Amino acid sequence: MRLQLAAAAAIAGVLALAPAARADGSLTARGVYYKERSTRVMQPMLDAMFDAGSHGVVTGHFLVDAITSASASSGAADAKPFSERRYEGGLGYSHVLDALTLGGEAKLSTESDYRSVYLAGRGQLELNQKNTVVGLGGGLSLDQVSAASTQGPGMITLRCDADHLTEKDCGLTVYSGYGSLSQLLSPDAVLGISVDVSTLRGFQANPYREAIVGESFVPERHPTKRTREAFAASLRYYLAASRTTLIGAYRYYRDDWKVHAHTPELRVVQELGLAIDASLRYRYYTQDGAYFFRDRYPADDDAMTQFVTDDVKLSSFTSHIFEAKAGVLGERFGLDGRWAAARLEAIFEYAKQNNRFGNAVIAHVALTIPFTY
Amino acid sequence: MVAGVVRYLSRLAIATFLLLAAGSGCVQVKAYQRGHLAKRAMVNDQQPGESRFTGHERGSREGAEGGAGQPGGGCGCN
Repeated sequence: MRLQLAAAAAIAGVLALAPAARADGSLTARGVYYKERSTRVMQPMLDAMFDAGSHGVVTGHFLVDAITSASASSGAADAKPFSERRYEGGLGYSHVLDALTLGGEAKLSTESDYRSVYLAGRGQLELNQKNTVVGLGGGLSLDQVSAASTQGPGMITLRCDADHLTEKDCGLTVYSGYGSLSQLLSPDAVLGISVDVSTLRGFQANPYREAIVGESFVPERHPTKRTREAFAASLRYYLAASRTTLIGAYRYYRDDWKVHAHTPELRVVQELGLAIDASLRYRYYTQDGAYFFRDRYPADDDAMTQFVTDDVKLSSFTSHIFEAKAGVLGERFGLDGRWAAARLEAIFEYAKQNNRFGNAVIAHVALTIPFTY
Repeated sequence: MVAGVVRYLSRLAIATFLLLAAGSGCVQVKAYQRGHLAKRAMVNDQQPGESRFTGHERGSREGAEGGAGQPGGGCGCN
């Protein structure tokens, strides 16, 4: 509640201080609630966007993840009650140079047992009289993992890799890159494709989770290298007669832990007058398990127990996501000025999945207020 | 790793070329014809906070990650 009041005060403060109109910006306050069988997350967040000069845009965000009634060992069979907060803040800037837009972003995320610093750069080029847009970007994430949320008398030491067996914390470095391309196909259709690649080096297990080896529980041992690739395509089509947008998307994912995933998705967005829109989404997700995932590991097989895991995300499973979303502008409520363009948005999502995480519900409420300064 | 990056960029370049070749055969959409393309749902109707939470939440529940066209940072949800 204090966070929500602080967010409201920040918005009110910025709006009250806004002097004569020179440039545009917007502030969004969003609250998210997430609940699954053993985890509940509440996440208040603030997002801001400001024009900086005639060619620049500054973005910033701050959020808190309040995780309660969960397990530090995320989805483990022997879960114990657990409570934690994660704080994240980020700043970005993008600059338009005619057909080329260049941008960068920095982000810091911290919680008791995990810290991440993320730096990224990107470029976007408009070609063919803006019928084609090509994007390219890359990022570096420097993470530090510990077992500071240990539930018990002593802190767990971590086996970072084969040479570092009893460390207080371990590092994880992630190099990532993406390429994207969008192409107008007609006055009513646009096609997009993207390729994402990331390479992870370092500790990638959960510090608290244990796998069943023979009759014993053994701390997870994951490989310290992983290369991940995602290939995605989407098509958006506007039906002018009914003012409906149809969106189809598909993603294929693979990595060198032998996880393969297919994700088709369909959305229908319907305009209801000038001030209201509503949408429905269905998303199907299916994946194979990692090559070293087992429900139980044999105690007498060194090859099979080189890597052991109890991570549900590395098992084979499918999920179905159903989402309903609605947005309404302030003018619909008879408001005027900046409040007429303010947007109130609500999202409800239900995830049905056949694994130990169980089904989940997610709800968002967000208010975006445009302003000039 | 450099070889890997070169391999992926090569694939992207090939995909880009094929799409551009296909796109050049389409009717070029003029600026005055883009009213429908400027609609909220035709551009990207996800706000940054929604995209960020969705990416984080799916990354903590699913083995797959990426495909949204933007790389992500660490999340502490191993």
